[in-house]
Amino acid sequence: MLTSILDVLIAGLLLGGLYALIAMGLSLQYGVARVFNISHGEFIMLGGMATLTLFTVFKINPLIAIVICGPITFVLGYIIHRTFFRHLLTSLPIFGEITILCTLFLWTVFRILADYNYVRLNQFAALAICLVIAIILDFALNRTAFRRIHESRVAAGVFESTSMLFSFGLMFIIKNIAFIGWGPSIRSYSFLQQPVSIAGALFGMNRLVTLGFSILIGLAFYFFLTRTRIGKAIRAAASDPTVAQLMGVNINQVLALCFGLGAAMAGIAGVLISMCYPVNANMGIEYTIIAIIVVALGGLGSIPGSFIGGFALGIIGSIVSFFEPGLALVAYYFIFGLLLLIRPKGILGK
Amino acid sequence: MLQVKNINVFYGRIQVLWDLCLEVKEGEILALVGANGAGKTTLLNTISGIIRPSSGTISFLGRRIDNLPPHEIVQLGISHIPEGRRLFADMSVLENLEMGAYSRGSWKTRQKTLEEVFHLFPRLRERAGQPARTLSGGEQQMLAMGRGLMSKPKLCLIDEPSNGLAPKLVQEVFQIIRSLREQGITILLVEQNVRQTLEIADRACVLENGRIALEGCGEELLKSEHVRKAYLGL
Repeated sequence: MLTSILDVLIAGLLLGGLYALIAMGLSLQYGVARVFNISHGEFIMLGGMATLTLFTVFKINPLIAIVICGPITFVLGYIIHRTFFRHLLTSLPIFGEITILCTLFLWTVFRILADYNYVRLNQFAALAICLVIAIILDFALNRTAFRRIHESRVAAGVFESTSMLFSFGLMFIIKNIAFIGWGPSIRSYSFLQQPVSIAGALFGMNRLVTLGFSILIGLAFYFFLTRTRIGKAIRAAASDPTVAQLMGVNINQVLALCFGLGAAMAGIAGVLISMCYPVNANMGIEYTIIAIIVVALGGLGSIPGSFIGGFALGIIGSIVSFFEPGLALVAYYFIFGLLLLIRPKGILGK
Repeated sequence: MLQVKNINVFYGRIQVLWDLCLEVKEGEILALVGANGAGKTTLLNTISGIIRPSSGTISFLGRRIDNLPPHEIVQLGISHIPEGRRLFADMSVLENLEMGAYSRGSWKTRQKTLEEVFHLFPRLRERAGQPARTLSGGEQQMLAMGRGLMSKPKLCLIDEPSNGLAPKLVQEVFQIIRSLREQGITILLVEQNVRQTLEIADRACVLENGRIALEGCGEELLKSEHVRKAYLGL
């Protein structure tokens, strides 16, 4: 009996380490960059699938894949924030958006008219004409009506909703690109699967490596936030972005950095997940949901909260799986619902 | 030192500042007084780059700054001590002060600057390890001012430093502002506490509905009929 309790607890810690890592990433993106990133799980999927390819095709050790996937997902996240989210942060129409929308609109109108034989024109010639009209319109609007609202920042609440919607779209884009590249099949590889005995229970070496990396990254991140100049700037920006700017913080850079770091954590978590579990291009959403539950459990935007919450949920999942493996996700939802009713601000929330 | 020329500032469709001109001369305390909603804080936010004017220019030491982002304006030597202190509540007193010296240049000399700030505000040294939110109101204002000085500014924009403080502490705050000027820091002071402000200011402007209504040396304004009626209740 005692050993099985210990088994379950250790299994919970192993699972919890992954959850903590995933949730810390989302927490950083939401707590500082204010993006409730629905596409978080897709970065996990990218990390996992990339590792699989690196291992099976190029024979690259998954531990080395961490060093490859981490920076790549970081850069990807950083660029996505610097381009798309940056535009959502400042007030709406930017040069280019109107061009695209207007072109599509005019072209659609043209095609409807063409269907009824009202106009006879080559499709591509029509497209070119639409594009020219749209660019002129865009330019004119930018010079007149939109000039004044340019560069002024939108309210925080507005950004939270637009960025969430955007990340929702991003989820579909990344997922479908992954489908084109990797196809829908569920795949796995075996790496470091030799069993290790802890207190009488057997665990795969790969699971222990996963836990080790999660804790290592958690601690490194903690020291980064509390000891370094940029880390302090991140905390300041989380607390009051406007005043952080007054201190000399380049806010756009720090927000993009946070989004990139969150993406990197997801990417690395993906690498670690692929060592222990099968992966496929469709796996992202499941982890997004778990990340959201953990972040809510730990307290929205609280990074230590996410770390603790991850382990708490891992242990709960492990206990439930011990009795009925299929019910783990159900238990998570149950906890989530209960949490919203009893303590909506989470464990460490303010 | 700082020239604000014909700026117009909008919040969405609402115009807050109308064709406003202002000049701060090196080494002076320029006070900006006016009722709530007159646009005082907006003016400071525009100077420090948080809000952009839709027209007009702002230049500092001969350089145009109205198109620069806030973090570059700080580097040029303008420090903005915001209304309501706005400390980083969960960070320690020391970390708050370090954030004040975030800009590359001031980060290198932060230890030396820290000693100067601790000399000016001895209470902050005692409380260095505490989270900022555990300080009393007066100490928080000291911290906000200390943080603003950590960037070694040439010009300090101070927004309502006496807000919510006991009269004795208000005296202290004004004393410190005066001592800053003696150290060669130019000050643009926004205050609701009109009488005391006009007493320490070299020059003052009265802001009404986003326009400068009156301008003159502090004593002159204290004697002005309009100011006495509208702001001093005499």
